[in-house]
Amino acid sequence: MSAWREKLSVEYVKMELMKTAIGNRDTFLAQLDPRILIIWYLAVSIVPWFTFNEWILFTLVVFTSILAIISKVSPLILGLLSFGVVSEIGWITVVVLFFGGDITAFLALLTFTMKITIMSIASIAVFASMDPEKLSDALISFGVPAQFGFGVSYGYRMLPILLDEYQHIFQSFLMRGKGPEKKGVLGWRMAVYYGKIMVLAFYPMILNVAKRTRTTVEALEVRGFPYSLHSKEAKKQKLSYMKVGAGDLVFLGGTMCFLLMIFSGIPYFTA
Amino acid sequence: MTQALIQMNDVHFRYPGSEEWVLKGASLEVEKGEFLAIIGNNGSGKSTLCKAMNGLIPHYYAGDVKGAVSVNGKEAFTSAVAVLSQEVGYVYQDFEQQLMRPTVLDDVAFAPLNFGKPDYKEKALWALEILDLMHLKDQSIWSLSGGQKHLTAIAGALALDPGIIIVDEPVAQLDPYHAKKIYEKLKELNEKHGKTIIVIEHHTEFIADYARTLLLMKDGQVNWKLPVHEGLSRVQELMGLGIYPPQVTQLAAGLNEQRNMSYPITLEQGVSFFQPIPKEVRALSRQMVNGEKNALKTIEAEDVSHHVRTMAGDKKTILNNISLTFGEGEKVALVGTNGAGKTTLLKALAGLSRPSDGEIRVEGNPIRKIRVSDLSDHVAYVFQNPEEMMIQDTVEKDLSFFSRSRGRLEKDQAFLSELSTSFNLHDLSKRDARLLSGGQQRRSSMAIGVAMRPMVLLLDEPTASLDIVSRREMTRMLHKTSDHCKTVIVATHDMELVAEWATRVIVMEEGEVIFDGSPRSLFQDEKTWKKANLRPPQIVELSLQLGCKPVFLSVKEMEEAMKVGAALECMA
Repeated sequence: MSAWREKLSVEYVKMELMKTAIGNRDTFLAQLDPRILIIWYLAVSIVPWFTFNEWILFTLVVFTSILAIISKVSPLILGLLSFGVVSEIGWITVVVLFFGGDITAFLALLTFTMKITIMSIASIAVFASMDPEKLSDALISFGVPAQFGFGVSYGYRMLPILLDEYQHIFQSFLMRGKGPEKKGVLGWRMAVYYGKIMVLAFYPMILNVAKRTRTTVEALEVRGFPYSLHSKEAKKQKLSYMKVGAGDLVFLGGTMCFLLMIFSGIPYFTA
Repeated sequence: MTQALIQMNDVHFRYPGSEEWVLKGASLEVEKGEFLAIIGNNGSGKSTLCKAMNGLIPHYYAGDVKGAVSVNGKEAFTSAVAVLSQEVGYVYQDFEQQLMRPTVLDDVAFAPLNFGKPDYKEKALWALEILDLMHLKDQSIWSLSGGQKHLTAIAGALALDPGIIIVDEPVAQLDPYHAKKIYEKLKELNEKHGKTIIVIEHHTEFIADYARTLLLMKDGQVNWKLPVHEGLSRVQELMGLGIYPPQVTQLAAGLNEQRNMSYPITLEQGVSFFQPIPKEVRALSRQMVNGEKNALKTIEAEDVSHHVRTMAGDKKTILNNISLTFGEGEKVALVGTNGAGKTTLLKALAGLSRPSDGEIRVEGNPIRKIRVSDLSDHVAYVFQNPEEMMIQDTVEKDLSFFSRSRGRLEKDQAFLSELSTSFNLHDLSKRDARLLSGGQQRRSSMAIGVAMRPMVLLLDEPTASLDIVSRREMTRMLHKTSDHCKTVIVATHDMELVAEWATRVIVMEEGEVIFDGSPRSLFQDEKTWKKANLRPPQIVELSLQLGCKPVFLSVKEMEEAMKVGAALECMA
C-alpha cells in the first residue's frame, strides 16, 4: 500500500509530465532531425485514414507501439493511454450490444478506435523524444512565424512553474477550505469537492503567472527578440545546427517502404 | 571635452495613463568604470531612472518624456532599444523571468543570436567563462539554484559585451552567501573587465563593501551623488528616509563619535574604529542570558527523512533523520542556505507533503491520520510566495475564507476585524491582494495564516524580497503573531530577523540539523555559522572581532553597553 502511494504521488506525476515534455535526449528518435520527425509523424497519422482493413491498422498499432517503447515513453502516459483505449473498447461493446448490433458494427467502431490510437501513440513517441527547442526550430524552419515558435518553447519552459504554482494553490484551498464531513458512497462527496477545488485553483494560477510574465515581455525587448523577428541573418544562424543526415533519410525511407509494403501486402493475404 | 559615459539632463517621465511624474528633473553623470549604487525609498524612481538608460523608456514604456539622455555618445531617446541594449545590459530583480531558454548556454546565447552575431556561441561561452559557469552550460534552467540563475541572467546580459551593466536589487531574492558571490563577480567585471556597474540596492553593507559611488534618489530626482564613504555617513538623512546605513555606521553615529568628518562603513573600519573596547563593555555582554526552553510540547518530528527522485532518476535525500520538538511560547528561526531542506521540513510539519520516513505529532497525535483540512485547525503554513495564499479576490475574503468554510464566520468576526487592524489591513480589505505592493502582500499573507487561529504557525521566508522598511515592519508583525499562536516557526535568510525576533534558531545543512540553540549562542559559534554559509548581522561580527563574548545582537544593545561601559570606565 505505502509503496503504491509513493509511486503514485503528486511528485511522481509531476516528474513524469516533465520528462515527457522536455524529451528524452538519448533515445533513437531523439537523434533524428526534428523536421524529419514531424514529416514522419504526419505521414504515420494520416495514412490510417485511407484504409478500413483492420489487419493493416493492427500492424500499425504494433509498429507505433514498438517505437513508443524504444522512445522510453513514461509508464504514466502509456498507462493513461491504454486505460483510455481499453475503456473505449468496453464502451463500444456495451453500445453495440445495447442497440442489438452484431460483429460488423463492432468492427467498424473498432477500426475507428484503432486509427485514433495510432495517432496518439505516434504523437507520444515523437513528442516525448523531441526537445521542445527542436520542435520550435523545426516549426520555424517550416515557415511558421517566429513568435509562434517561441511561444511553443516558452510554453514548455513555463510548464514546471505552472505545475508548482497550481499545486501550491491547490494546497492552499485544501488547507483553508473544508471538505464534506461524510465521504459519501465510494467517496463521491470527496470527489466532487476535489473536482471543485481543481477548477477553482486554475484562476489564481493564471493570474499569478500572467503577472510575473510582465518582466519576461520587457526582457524580451532588451534581449533583442523583436529585432530577431525582422532579421534574416538571425533566423539563419538560429537554425543552422539542423542538418538532415543519412540516418534521417534511411528512417523516413524505411518507414515509407514499410507502409507501402503493408498497404499492398496485407490486403493481398487477407482478401 | 570629455563626455561622461551616461549623461542625463533634467529628465522628466510619466508612465502612460498616469497623471503623476515619476522622474521630475533627474540629472546625473556616470563616468566609465564606476561602480555606482543607487538608493532611495520605494517609489522614488530608481528603476525608472535605470530604464531610461537602456531605452525601455521611452521606447517600450511610451509615456510622456522630457529632457535628454545620452549613453556612450548615443542619444537615448532617438536610438532604438536594439542599439542601446548593446551598450547597457540589464538584470531584473525577478531575474528568473528573464531566463527564456531551456539550457544555460542557450539562454546566454539568446541575445547575441537575436542580434544575428555570427560568433554568438563564442560570445556566450566567453560570458560563461568569466562568471565561472562553464560547468553548468548544458544544465537545464529549472535545475539551477537561485544564485546560479542570477549568474546566468548576468551572463545573458554580459554576452552582448555591453560597457554598462545594471543590476536591480541583486540581494533581494538570494541568501547572503550567494549574494556575496554575485557581488564578488560584479567587482571582477568592474575591475578586471572595465565594465561600469550600476546596482539598485537596499543593503548598505554590500554597498559599503563593493560600490565606490552612491546616488540617492528622492521624489523622482537625483538628490546627490557622492563617494560611498561620504554618502553612507549621512546617517540621519538616510535613516529619515528609511534607509539603514551599515550597523557599524549606525553604532558610531549613535555614540556620536565622528572622526575626520566621517564614520566607519565597513566591518574592518569598524573594528579599528572601536578598538580597543573597554573591558567593562565586554563584562556587560557577559550578563546577557537567554530564556529557557518551554516544556509544553506543541509539535514534534521524530526521525523524519525525505527522499525524492531527480529527473535523472537518482535518489536524493532532502531531509535526513530529523528529530525536533517544539514547545509553547517558542519563536523559532529555521536557517540554512537554499536547498538545505527548510521548506520541505515546514511542509512536512504542515502535513502538505508526506515524508518518506518518520513521524510527526501534534500534541502527541500522529498527523499521518489527520486530513489536511483538519490539521490546519492546529497547524498553518504560509507559502514563501505570498500570492499563493491569495485564493479569493479581496483581502477581506481571503482573511475570512477559513472561518467561512468552517461555518463560523459570525463567531470569528470580532477576531478577524481585530486582526485586520493589528496587521494594518483595514484600508486594503476591499482590494485584490495580488495587486498590492510586496510589503502589503506579505502582511496580508501572514494575517491569512494567523486568521486560521493555529496553535503552530509556519512561515516560509516572510521577509524575502522586501526592502528594509517593509522588513522591519514584518519583524514587528511577527512579534504580534505570538499573541495568537503558541509556536511560530519561520524559515529565513534574514539574520537581523533571527537576532531581533527568534528565541531559538535551528541551522540546517544538506537535510540535517547542525545547530539548535539560542541566536546568541549560534552567532558566537563562528565555526558553525561559517560551515552553514550564514552571514550574521554586522554588529555580531564586530563584537566577535572586538572580543565581546557573548556577542551583541543589535546596534541598540551594543550602543547601550558602550554608553554604560564608558560611564563605568570614567568611574574606575
